[in-house]
Amino acid sequence: MLLDACLHVQAGWEVLVLGPPAARPLYEAIGAALARREAYAVFQLSPEGSIGAINRSWIRNAPDELLPKPSSLQAHLLAETDALLFVAAPENTRDPASVDADRYTQARQAYREAMKRADADETPWVVCHFPTPAMAQEAGMATDEFEEFLYGACLLDWDAERERMQRYADRFDGAEEVRIVGAGTDLRLGVAGRPFEVDAGGTGGGSNMPGGEFFCCPLEDSAEGEIVFGEFPAVRRGREVTGIRLRFDTGRVVEASASTNEDFFFQLLDTDDGARRLGELGIGCNPGITRSIGSPYFDEKIDGTVHLAVGHGFPSVGGTNESMVHWDIVKDLRDGGRIEVDGEVVQEDGQWLI
Amino acid sequence: MKDERYTQYADLLLDTCVAVQPGWEVLIVGPPHSRPLLEEIGAGLGRRGAYAVYQLAYGNIIGAADRSWVREASLELVGKPSRLQAYLFENCDAIVAVDAPENTRDGSSIDSEKVNAGRAAYLPAMQRLISHEVPWVGCQYPTPALAQDAGMATDEFADFLFGAVLLDWKAEKERMQRYADRFDASEEVRIVGDGTDLRIGIAGRNMEVDAGGANMPGGEFFCCPLEDSAEGEILFGEFPAVYAGRELTGVRLKFQGGRVAKATAIVHEEFLNQTLDSDEGARRLGELGIGCNPGITRYMKNTLFDEKIDGTIHLALGFGFPNLGGKNESSVHWDIVKDLRNGGRIELDGEVVQENGVWTI
Repeated sequence: MLLDACLHVQAGWEVLVLGPPAARPLYEAIGAALARREAYAVFQLSPEGSIGAINRSWIRNAPDELLPKPSSLQAHLLAETDALLFVAAPENTRDPASVDADRYTQARQAYREAMKRADADETPWVVCHFPTPAMAQEAGMATDEFEEFLYGACLLDWDAERERMQRYADRFDGAEEVRIVGAGTDLRLGVAGRPFEVDAGGTGGGSNMPGGEFFCCPLEDSAEGEIVFGEFPAVRRGREVTGIRLRFDTGRVVEASASTNEDFFFQLLDTDDGARRLGELGIGCNPGITRSIGSPYFDEKIDGTVHLAVGHGFPSVGGTNESMVHWDIVKDLRDGGRIEVDGEVVQEDGQWLI
Repeated sequence: MKDERYTQYADLLLDTCVAVQPGWEVLIVGPPHSRPLLEEIGAGLGRRGAYAVYQLAYGNIIGAADRSWVREASLELVGKPSRLQAYLFENCDAIVAVDAPENTRDGSSIDSEKVNAGRAAYLPAMQRLISHEVPWVGCQYPTPALAQDAGMATDEFADFLFGAVLLDWKAEKERMQRYADRFDASEEVRIVGDGTDLRIGIAGRNMEVDAGGANMPGGEFFCCPLEDSAEGEILFGEFPAVYAGRELTGVRLKFQGGRVAKATAIVHEEFLNQTLDSDEGARRLGELGIGCNPGITRYMKNTLFDEKIDGTIHLALGFGFPNLGGKNESSVHWDIVKDLRNGGRIELDGEVVQENGVWTI
């Protein structure tokens, strides 16, 4: 499914496979499947996965001036590959918390240029997950239970899901304003002229597995009002931020607070100018995901939730906000929340009315 | 608790073996089981201002030729290199290859035709490495599989491995160079021992000392003997000779004019003669090596270590090294180790230089 539905792998392609060691059965399946499609599997596993030239042991010890400069070998791989397959399989979901956030950002930023084609979806890419004990623990499930959950969220009839989500998205497309109302929340976002994209597990460009959302880049100066993300913690780089409250004025976060890790949260909002504006409004629709598991990839697709991302917007859907940050924060609407489009209620308590 | 020996091992690999410089991009290849060492290598490179470009894979040292892929890919595709992989080999400043098998027999499930095609595919990209233009080191990590082959518990094997690699290599180099100089000044080496009396001409052939360069552990010096010189008999009775997954015991070779004229073995005699018949060069010697690593005292069915046992010599049938003046050409290069610690001796131009595995010079 990853190779066909998500990446549309062709014969002769060189597919770069990045990830940590824990996902061995998945790598072996990927290697065999690429071979059968007459494509290359270029494995680049590393202790912590993601990008092979950025690992904790190295980031901690590298001199300051080296961090923001990319390795030419790594840059070449990222820029020249025909497709990218990222496997997330953490052996401890809190490992990243031990790395200085700023050093990590610098090291990541070094590969921005090399990732340009992937960012613009010219090079197809997919992020997928392998069920590790650590992820199950984070989700509060037994490992086998988590496995069932993961496959339940990924192995859906994606054609049918796409159709269903497209129907909702069509209602949002062409609307002027989305209003989100819920506990401590009344927020208006302008979406005029901004198309919604449906993520149903593969677009030929970039994709996440599981899919199950539709999203847009709201007008950068439009957000007005307040939102409280009180239902789930937001997790970023191993840190859990709870009780986030944001107040927007003409698109900008003018007031922010959080119950835990507030300093880390403020640091993030102050990363650059774009970090205080919205880069995404997304609506979660995956029927296989009904609870938070502490991973944004899954949580943002919980059926009956919305998520806002502070930071970088997607140029491919008209986003103009630029930032090093793109952080999705999920709001549950299933208990007393609603979504209005140009004044008409389209979803209430997480249930679609259209 | 952190095992400091991994830090020392990483320092040794980066400084003594590849001599990393700031700004270098070092490719780290191998399977993930060696994580404690891999992380120390990454940290060590960071401290030296060099990049650590990890390219781990499960089933192969070459990330684009993982076993899972090779098994299913067509022979034609396996024989063509991935351009991404080739780029890494062609443009890296150094390679650290960590050997950490989780099962030393894993490779046996793949068709040897494909294995050879895969290896040949990357030979052009690896030219700079083969010719040592770009420094590289191959090292081992103590996995349960290696320990099992060695007949040791895993922790015992780890102690053994670190004992063999964490040496004062400068002192070892000096010591071995002293012996090597004596060989360089000689015409003939005579090896005497159980069932053994063999004379080998080495006039004009220089000894090279391996004190921790491309292989870790190091601990030998070796040369390519004159191709038509070997005369006499040798019995490899102490350890089995391992080749292509087979264990041969009691190998006995009789040389005439440098050529193996008669070969017998207790186990796998037919295979021995088949191998000798591979090509013309397979019946001549490509290497004479003298093992000198004081940390390696027992046989463990692992050529990288066994050929360095202190008090042993090894002969390689087949290919000789052109950079040392070797002229023998063959697709075979088979190191077989002979123990001299129990009643053996080495003579140089008639003078005993080692007896019972102990140097007398």
